[in-house]
Amino acid sequence: MTSDEVLAVVRAAVATVLEVDPSTVTRQTRLREDLRADSLALVEIVEIVEEVLAPRARAGFHIEDEDLDGLSTVGEAVDYAVARL
Amino acid sequence: MTRVALDLLGGDAAPEVVVDAAILVADQTPDVEVVLVGPVDQAEVLLVARGAAGRFRLVQASQVVGMDEDPARGVRAKRDATVRVAARLVRDGEADAMVSIGSTGAALAAALFTLGRLRGVSRPALAAVIPSAAGPLVFLDAGATTEATPQLLAQFALAGAALATVRLGIARPRVGLLSVGEEPGKGDELRKQAYAALSALPLEFVGNVEGSDVPHGGRADVVVTDGFTGNVLAKGLEGAAAMVTGVLLSALTTAPDRSSAATALLPALHEATAHMSPEELGGAVLLGVNGVVVVGHGASTARGVQSCVRVAAQAAREGLVPRIGDAMSALLDRTRAAGPDDSYDTDPAGGLT
Repeated sequence: MTSDEVLAVVRAAVATVLEVDPSTVTRQTRLREDLRADSLALVEIVEIVEEVLAPRARAGFHIEDEDLDGLSTVGEAVDYAVARL
Repeated sequence: MTRVALDLLGGDAAPEVVVDAAILVADQTPDVEVVLVGPVDQAEVLLVARGAAGRFRLVQASQVVGMDEDPARGVRAKRDATVRVAARLVRDGEADAMVSIGSTGAALAAALFTLGRLRGVSRPALAAVIPSAAGPLVFLDAGATTEATPQLLAQFALAGAALATVRLGIARPRVGLLSVGEEPGKGDELRKQAYAALSALPLEFVGNVEGSDVPHGGRADVVVTDGFTGNVLAKGLEGAAAMVTGVLLSALTTAPDRSSAATALLPALHEATAHMSPEELGGAVLLGVNGVVVVGHGASTARGVQSCVRVAAQAAREGLVPRIGDAMSALLDRTRAAGPDDSYDTDPAGGLT
């Protein structure tokens, strides 16, 4: 998958869970600071992203919990996913 | 037959108390089938010891999300957790409802991740039927979502009204907004805006109610607030009730010359308040998720768990989730028709595994 395709998946998940206009979600958007995502919302986003991306990855796709703390922007989440697909 | 998935490992006295509850349900409610979700070997030992081997469907789940764990991460990490497996049974149509007396946060996370939210629902609410002097009322949010918006409180109002219809049999329940005064202008900015939002809903909005209206009752059948305030008030009421009971018992039993008064009064007090017991009222219902989820107190007895199962079965039988779904969809459609909104456009994805 291309970076733009992964961005579309992450953007859709963020927009769904945090109820924001998808067009306002950019690579620079900070999940906690800009969108006030709490831990439950972050995990909800991760679960959706994993569900969508896993079938498209040869060896499955899983975001490690310890890595989750280091992902602060949408762009960082996209880069993380692209590197593991 | 209504099938209720029951979390075997949740609660202070699990799994024994849960197995005892399942047997009570089977003995007294033949139209409800309990599905026990947990370690099958443990369940079988307990059932054999109680002469109830083979009476229940057992579904294997080996993990439990502890009370001290982060609920979201715990549920995420433990795909074989009892609450997650129970939610999966509901999602897959193998159960009509689920009950847990374990971590409320874990049940909430499992429901969100597995069942998903109903269309138009921003965040779920925990709704309890609580006793008041004038009769039981629906109180929400008791702690599921601590940060609220006016639009979220409007969603809670609709969901709470649907629950009041199902649980209390009130066709058009009166809905009140918890605030610090009855007048429309009373309260913080959230309450003032929520007042306007609730006024526009197709329900019987009676305006603001105060904290004292909850134990007194009579002004509203449904009291709506955010999860932070709701949790504080609910625990405050619980503590006050325990304090009054303790003081009363102490006054009646410490002096020997009052024993005759105690003998006369205690049965009457017990009779008058029996219907108010949390053990009788059942657990809180998680509203807004795509399935019936009931969460009971961790210290529930077998009778308390049995009441939770009764509440869950009733909610499933009487279509609580479709009722809430219809109300939320209508609210979302009205909001969209009114033009760009300032709050949400919720059309959530379905649940996950």
